[in-house]
Amino acid sequence: MMDKEFMEILRTHNLHKSFGKLHVLKGVNLSVEKGQILSVIGPSGSGKSTLLRLLNHLETADRGSIFIGGEAIAREDENGNSVYLPAKEVLKICSRLGMVFQNFNLFPHKSVIENLMEAPIMVKGLPKEEVEQKCMQLLKKVGLTEKFDVYPGQLSGGQQQRVAIARALAMDPEIMLFDEPTSALDPELIGEVLETIKTLAAENTTMIIVTHEMTFAREISDRVLFMDDGQILVDGEPDEIFKDPDHQRIRTFLQKILEKR
Amino acid sequence: MDFQYLFDITKYIAFGAGVTVLVFIVTLVFSVPFGIFCALGKLSRFRILHGLLGIYTWVFRGTPLLLQLFFTYYGLPMITNGAVKFSPLMAAFVTFIINYAAYFTEIFRAGIQSIGKGQYEAAKALGMRPRLTMQRIILPQAVKLILPPMGNEAINLIKDTALCSVITVTEMLRNANRVMSRDFNVGALVIAACLYLLLTFVVIQVFRKLEKHFAYYQIK
Ligand SMILES: Nc1ncnc2c1ncn2[C@@H]1O[C@H](COP(=O)(O)OP(=O)(O)OP(=O)(O)O)[C@@H](O)[C@H]1O
Ligand SMILES: [Mg+2]
Repeated sequence: MMDKEFMEILRTHNLHKSFGKLHVLKGVNLSVEKGQILSVIGPSGSGKSTLLRLLNHLETADRGSIFIGGEAIAREDENGNSVYLPAKEVLKICSRLGMVFQNFNLFPHKSVIENLMEAPIMVKGLPKEEVEQKCMQLLKKVGLTEKFDVYPGQLSGGQQQRVAIARALAMDPEIMLFDEPTSALDPELIGEVLETIKTLAAENTTMIIVTHEMTFAREISDRVLFMDDGQILVDGEPDEIFKDPDHQRIRTFLQKILEKR
Repeated sequence: MDFQYLFDITKYIAFGAGVTVLVFIVTLVFSVPFGIFCALGKLSRFRILHGLLGIYTWVFRGTPLLLQLFFTYYGLPMITNGAVKFSPLMAAFVTFIINYAAYFTEIFRAGIQSIGKGQYEAAKALGMRPRLTMQRIILPQAVKLILPPMGNEAINLIKDTALCSVITVTEMLRNANRVMSRDFNVGALVIAACLYLLLTFVVIQVFRKLEKHFAYYQIK
């Protein structure tokens, strides 16, 4: 346990990202250690999704560097601009991150078990029997064993998101990224997805979770990042942020969320 | 009514129907893969390729198929001084394949483009390369979306084969026409019409089956 704090598995330095003239990320420095659970909160448009999407190369950074498990997918040149590894290598390194999307993005033409088995077989080239066995276990973990042969369209939103979580887990990711995993769900379905994420937390899965579920974030996180206007305004323990935040911005944000309820 | 006569002319016209079916099958077999490649080219990042394919689909969808047939069969030998000269059937194959591939290119392109970007992102997040994503995730879903317009094109193709008669391909309409002018018998046209209906009926049924097969899932 002593050297746990040296087990850094993800780091970004001075990340910048613009969409046209819109400067969305303005220098994000982040370090994640193995087993940590981070929640990312903050107002809409503050760049939370963009940050996650930079981490697994769904977007490319303009400036700054990204290290995954010590390997740089993007480095800074002498001017601070991001220089990426060749796409194939980036893809390989980024497959160590699992991603769960707000809209599930399951493959509609594949059954639940096929959704899980696709990448381990086609990307990693693992034998089918072995993969199938493992994927059935993952389905058990998310409580959907009996749904293995149905198609995503026949599942509720909550069930689809649990399949999406299992699908990401099937690639044995070192870090799981969640981008508002419950925002597209009817209120009565949110609980089951949060429960599933808690199961992963109990197994010390490293996670970065963008969420608007404050109670959940407070309960599950080791660290909470408050993002505002493209920057991490506060990076601290949950109590620091939720109990009696120093920052007026955070207080206003939390108040607004409470009012919405 | 002379049944022997009826039988004979039906046989003669049905023989032409064989050529109709041949043109239909050869056209589909070659223009579908050709169309897929052109569609992927249109979706690629290569500007010049876009431009060329744009001109290709514009020209072949924007001019009459009949004109294109004339051009291939009569025009090409003229401008090449006989160096490029096709038999009637060959000219029909070449023209139909290129013409139909132009339509298929646009249908496939539209089908592929209507698959949401979430599918690409999910595949990429799982470590799938673009090519694998196209093969395993995008194209299989696009197939479902393009079936209805493909069905329409297939029916059009059956009927368009009749145009081959103008470059002396002995297909169904040409044979029916011959009987009619020889015997002054409109019945030949009725027989041809029935055979066309039979062929299009089969095509409709095949596509109905295919659409049913793909009904097991929904694309949001
Ligand atoms: N692909 C894109 N093209 C143009 N603008 C984009 C793109 N993606 C995001 N943006 C813009 O960047 C800003 C930050 O977006 P981002 O999705 O990261 O915010 P967020 O913090 O996740 O917000 P929310 O809580 O609403 O999800 C927004 O103004 C958004 O409109
Ligand atoms: Mg977002």
